[in-house]
Amino acid sequence: MKSFLIRCYPSRWRDRYGDEFEAILDERPLGPFDVADILLAAIDAHLHLRGIDAASNHTRGFMMSLRIGGSAAILGGVLFLAGLVASSIDQSDEGASPWAAFLFAGTAALLLALIGLSSFQARRHPRLIWTAFAVPALGTAVSCIGIVGMAVVGDRSLIADFSPWEIWIFGIFATVLGSALFAVATYQTRALSRRAAALLATGSIVLVAILVVGMTGIVPAVVGDAGVVTSVLMLAGLLAFAAGWIALGWTALRLERPTAAAA
Amino acid sequence: MEAKLPEFGRFAEPSLLILVSLSDGPKHGYAIMQDVEQGTGRPMGAGTLYAALARLEERGLVEPLTPVDRRRPYRLTAVGATMLAEQLRGLSKFAQRGLRQLGETRP
Repeated sequence: MKSFLIRCYPSRWRDRYGDEFEAILDERPLGPFDVADILLAAIDAHLHLRGIDAASNHTRGFMMSLRIGGSAAILGGVLFLAGLVASSIDQSDEGASPWAAFLFAGTAALLLALIGLSSFQARRHPRLIWTAFAVPALGTAVSCIGIVGMAVVGDRSLIADFSPWEIWIFGIFATVLGSALFAVATYQTRALSRRAAALLATGSIVLVAILVVGMTGIVPAVVGDAGVVTSVLMLAGLLAFAAGWIALGWTALRLERPTAAAA
Repeated sequence: MEAKLPEFGRFAEPSLLILVSLSDGPKHGYAIMQDVEQGTGRPMGAGTLYAALARLEERGLVEPLTPVDRRRPYRLTAVGATMLAEQLRGLSKFAQRGLRQLGETRP
C-alpha cells in the first residue's frame, strides 16, 4: 500500500521528497483519511509540477491549441453546412443518409474547436464555457445514437417514442445551442473576432429558434408563405452559423501566425 | 512581500500551521505533523503536509536541511519568518475585531 501511494506521485516529486515521505509513512499507521489525503495530494503534485514544466512551453501549447481549434472550427463549419444542406435536399428514405455522417463529423470537429478556442473565455466565464462544451458533447453522443438508429431501425421508434431522426435532430440542437453559448462568451471576452462571434451567435440563435418551433410544434403548420420564410431563415441561420465558425477559426489561425513566424 | 499565503489555495491553512510549527526551530516532517496535531487537535495528513511544504520551499519560506537517516528537517527562512509575523498580526487584528464585535452584540 505504501509503495503504491508513493508511486502515485510524479517521478520528479519522488526524487525530491520520496525518501522522507516514505519515512513518514513507515512511522505513522495509515487510515482511510491518510490514503485519501495522499491520493488527493498526489493529483495535486501532478497538476502542480505540470504547471511548472508547462511554464516555458506555455506559449507553444497555447499556439498549438489555437492551431488545432482554428482548423477544427473551419472544417466543422464547412462539414456542418454541407451535411445539413445536403441531408435536407436528399429526401431518400433509405436509412441514414451518408450526409448525416458528414454532419456528425462536423459536429465532432466543432466540439474540438470549442476545446481549442476556449482557453481565454474559460478564465472569465468558466461555467458558461463548461456548459458550452457539455451541451454539444452530449449532443454529439445523441447524434451518434440517432445516426446508428437510422441505419438499424429506420423510421421506427428508438427511445421513448422518438424516432432516430428526432434523436439525431435533438443532438444537432444541442450542438447549435452550445455554439450560441460559446459565441456569447467569446463576444464578451473579445478573445477572438467579435464580428465572427456575433455572426455565430446570430446564426445559432436563429437555428435554435427554428429547431424549437419545429420540435415543439408551437407553430402548427409551417406551410405556404410561412414555410418559405422559415426555409429562408433556416438557410440564413445556417450560413451565418457556418460562416461564424469559419471566421472564428480563421482569426484563431491568424493570431497564431506572427508568433510562429517569430519563433 | 511577494508571496502571500492565500496564493496557496487550499494549502494556505496547513502552510500557516507548518510555519508556526517551525517558528521554534527546525523540524522534520513527522515532527511537524505531531506538533500541528497537538496544537490544533486536528490531524494533518502526510499528503497535505508535503503539498504545503513543497509550496513553502518553492517560495523560499522554508528551507531543507541535511537529512538525518531518511528524515529531512526544515527550517524557517528570514522571508518565511517575516511572512509568518505578518500573517499572524493580520489574524490577531481580525480576531480582536471579531471578539470586540461579539462583545458589543451580546446582551
